Amino acid sequence: MIILNVLALYGLVGAGTAFAFVIFGISRVLPAGTPVSIGARILLWPGAALLWPYVLLRWVKAGVR
Amino acid sequence: MSAGFRAVQWNCRKVVYDLILVAGVTLYIGAFMGVSAWQRPPANWPDWTNLRIDAFGSCAFIMLTIILSIGPLARLDPRFLPLLYNRRHFGVLTFFVAAVHGWSVFEWFAVQDALPGLANELSNTAAYGKFIGFPYKTLGIAALVVLLLLAATSHDFWLAFLTPPAWKALHMLLYLAYGIVVMHVALGAMQGNRSPLVPVLLGGAFVWVAGLHLVAGRRERRGDRGSKVGEGGWIAVGPPETIPDKAARIVTAPGGERIAVFRDGARVGALTNLCAHQNGPLGEGRIIDGCVTCPWHGFQYRLEDGRAPPPFTEVLATYPVRLRGGIVEVDPRPLPPGTPAAIDVVL
Ligand code: FES
Repeated sequence: MIILNVLALYGLVGAGTAFAFVIFGISRVLPAGTPVSIGARILLWPGAALLWPYVLLRWVKAGVR
Repeated sequence: MSAGFRAVQWNCRKVVYDLILVAGVTLYIGAFMGVSAWQRPPANWPDWTNLRIDAFGSCAFIMLTIILSIGPLARLDPRFLPLLYNRRHFGVLTFFVAAVHGWSVFEWFAVQDALPGLANELSNTAAYGKFIGFPYKTLGIAALVVLLLLAATSHDFWLAFLTPPAWKALHMLLYLAYGIVVMHVALGAMQGNRSPLVPVLLGGAFVWVAGLHLVAGRRERRGDRGSKVGEGGWIAVGPPETIPDKAARIVTAPGGERIAVFRDGARVGALTNLCAHQNGPLGEGRIIDGCVTCPWHGFQYRLEDGRAPPPFTEVLATYPVRLRGGIVEVDPRPLPPGTPAAIDVVL
């Protein structure tokens, strides 16, 4: 049960983080001016949700620079 | 290519590939369910669900086996290269087929109000120590999670974001998924007391995939011993007309690096054999619309200088070429990426 709860929490935080990332963060981690279509952002959402700790780390790093 | 990211970079060839893929999956599942229902008509909804579980499960396993066979097959015989072209879509579709299989299992328990039974089966820690009786559905879930991760990170963005080496390493997990799936099917078949055909086909598929990799690997190692190096370290490629027009001859530098020597009419140039996208074998591609075109996903480069045509930005290393006594020779020491190096020869 604990495992399921931890997984659910990971998924939930991932879903939210990924949502913000594909809207705002993605242009931060790419070279300035790289266009990303809306369709691509939608397709990138599941991957960002799964890898959210790393995605967040890169986003934060890119923001600091 | 990397001038921006779109949802799916379809072109005519990819659309045809995808249509064939979807048609093949539909046909297989339709035929499997049709024939099985005809032989033993399902009596109720759980029976139908069972049929769906088998149809989608076996389809996903076959698809995985094909995906893992495409790479070595294409290395052994270039006629398989078109299969490699859009392998990522193949992988994503495999995930969806496997997901329907997984969902159907869940549904089978749900329609019979037996979900607590499923939960008990998965959380029965004592059973994990046994061989027969191992909760093989857990293995199925694990494989599905890996397939989800691979499908979700298959977009070119992830390749750029994670860097090609990390992305490649991540996608090597497909082998792990395949191993888990083999165990999942083997244990499931043993516990389900089904026909002996399942273990035989399973073993056959496993031996086939492993054997293909061994044969292709051995062939590659033989090719990697290096082409003969002549005077001044230059490698003889052959008379220009022996390099197929709009295609390449691949030579191997002493260090093992492969060089693709292309001919486009009277123009000859040498590029690294590794595509900047995912290290695809450029030398197995062709010159299309005046550009060297990677056989894997169609990235293009100018023969003159190894640069992708604008607005794309990929650049490849080029190699000096010369014509000596009617023989094209290539210097295996690479030039900085993007350096013009192609020459015109008289045929
Ligand atoms: S285009 Fe993908 S590896 Fe060359």
